[in-house]
Amino acid sequence: MNLNELLPSIEPQSLYAPVMAEIKEIKRLTSMEVFYRIEMPGGEDLGHQPGQFVEVSIFGVGEAPFSISSSPTLKGSFELGVRKAGMLTDVMTRLQPGTKLGIRGPFGTGVDVEKFKGKDVLIIAGGIGLVPMRSMINYVLDRREEFGRLIICYGSKSQKDLLFTDEIAKWEADPKVEFHVTVDQGGESWKGNVGVITTLIPSLNLDLTNTACCVCGPPIMYRFVLMALKSKGVSDESIYMSLERRMKCGVGKCGHCQINSSYVCQDGPVYHYPNLKNLQEAL
Amino acid sequence: MVQFYLDAERLPAFTAHLMTQKTVIAPHAKGQKSFTFETVTEPDQVVLDYPRVMQSIRKFFLPPREELLTFDLTENSYEVTDVEPVNAIFLGVHSYDVAAVGRLDYNFSVGSPERNYLTRRQGAVFIGVSFVPDAYHFSGSVNIRPEDATGCDIFLTKLFDGYVLEVHTEVGEELVEGFDMPAHDAGRPTTGHFQQHIDVPQTKLSEIMEQSYDNAVWEETAEQCVGCGTCNLVCPTCYCFNVDEAVDVTVTKGHRERHWDGCMLRKFSEVAGGEVFRESLASRQRHRIFRKFKYISDTTGQPWCVGCGRCTAACPAHISIVGIVNRLISDHGQAVVAPI
Repeated sequence: MNLNELLPSIEPQSLYAPVMAEIKEIKRLTSMEVFYRIEMPGGEDLGHQPGQFVEVSIFGVGEAPFSISSSPTLKGSFELGVRKAGMLTDVMTRLQPGTKLGIRGPFGTGVDVEKFKGKDVLIIAGGIGLVPMRSMINYVLDRREEFGRLIICYGSKSQKDLLFTDEIAKWEADPKVEFHVTVDQGGESWKGNVGVITTLIPSLNLDLTNTACCVCGPPIMYRFVLMALKSKGVSDESIYMSLERRMKCGVGKCGHCQINSSYVCQDGPVYHYPNLKNLQEAL
Repeated sequence: MVQFYLDAERLPAFTAHLMTQKTVIAPHAKGQKSFTFETVTEPDQVVLDYPRVMQSIRKFFLPPREELLTFDLTENSYEVTDVEPVNAIFLGVHSYDVAAVGRLDYNFSVGSPERNYLTRRQGAVFIGVSFVPDAYHFSGSVNIRPEDATGCDIFLTKLFDGYVLEVHTEVGEELVEGFDMPAHDAGRPTTGHFQQHIDVPQTKLSEIMEQSYDNAVWEETAEQCVGCGTCNLVCPTCYCFNVDEAVDVTVTKGHRERHWDGCMLRKFSEVAGGEVFRESLASRQRHRIFRKFKYISDTTGQPWCVGCGRCTAACPAHISIVGIVNRLISDHGQAVVAPI
């Protein structure tokens, strides 16, 4: 048999062709992070799940993956929170509303929201990890009756690095949100908790039989959060983690995002923790 | 299946016959010791007696550099670059390189089928040729014999001063039509024995890898390795790529292109902000070997190494893939030296 007989039929569309989408709104979040609201052609919904990502490109500059920060319940546009960390993000911070960006996606496996329904939702976000977790937070807030308690633990380097401060103020004021925040380095104007994010976990009052937890933060954070959750008695089965890798192509081809045998752009970025145990490179 | 005898002296005439039907791509000598697959313009350029080509025929289906789209910076618009089928006869391919194309076919078909690769792959015809294993070949250890015709439309087995020509497919039948050759019914020889062996059957390799995650061999290999990525560059089943932008001097136009990348390079796993997830050479060596013998293999049941020996032959630090695998085997007392 000739090898060709095993080939599938050819997809008409290139996997690497972006859709040109318009920036509707730009807001500075901190000195390093910028917020974008982006509209797909015709105001069509992106059709994503919380935790999924898109590839954003600017011609002549490059393409990189970004977590989607808005909830799928936001209609007509989607949002990103971008940290200035390279050439593409540097150029992005200088764009004006009305500019069009190349968008591919949504890609990856996000939060399986069905697994969270009816449960208390515990969100643990470190630093820029709040950007993808905000998608889940707003999803829960918009469909409040489908979930139990909403507990958010957010850790930031310092007060000036806090993201989405106007939304944080709302979460703090909302009686149906239990919001805990800490900063690594306090300052004169900071009256709240000082310490790394794991210091928030021991005092949490959790219903261990009915809590699902979602974790996202810098690579160093996961192991320590995991230890804190375990010593709290949180079961492995109730933990989900969103991991960062270099998802260059987004379609399981280029190899850059692999964690052992797993392509983060396909199986992740949100993993059920029991599935991470066999991936030694993950945490 | 029909067998003919093709006298070596008539190879140029056979090549010319093929050239009347389609583009023919075949091994050419390059310098004294190297061989490379190129498009044939003169039938006598073809060299079928070669140890291995520097680059497998992967380069035709997954070019080292490939334009994905062109863009116009003044309009902020783009056009997807057209992809043409290679649509050629690959004459004189070794069995392991045909097997490698099958592996790549899987990678670019699974999940999201990729238009670029699959379009280029259309219309390819494979005429295999047997080889005599040299000091680096070990494809026998991954069940790919020198005279293995799997995937080929026609297969040539060296016999004295000619070839036993077997026609395996209808496409192959059409190719030989009108070219007069004597029939051959004496079977075909096996073409030599391997000097290099992996010391267990390939079905055991995944299990060996499973137990070898923390083996000392990774650190020891890393002490020799210079992290140059040559092993990735020459591997016929490596398919990882990166994507870059190229802007022309007028800064009004440019293109987005992909190029081969390699997991042995430090920047391969780097993310924005500078975190490198496979920082040590040891972890990169392990990843390379596991990608060849475990990760995809656990899903497909096949090793993703085809035993061509290129990575070992080309390594500036003389790191041997067979050496690494056999070390893992012996560390677990699993060596079952069987004649292959």
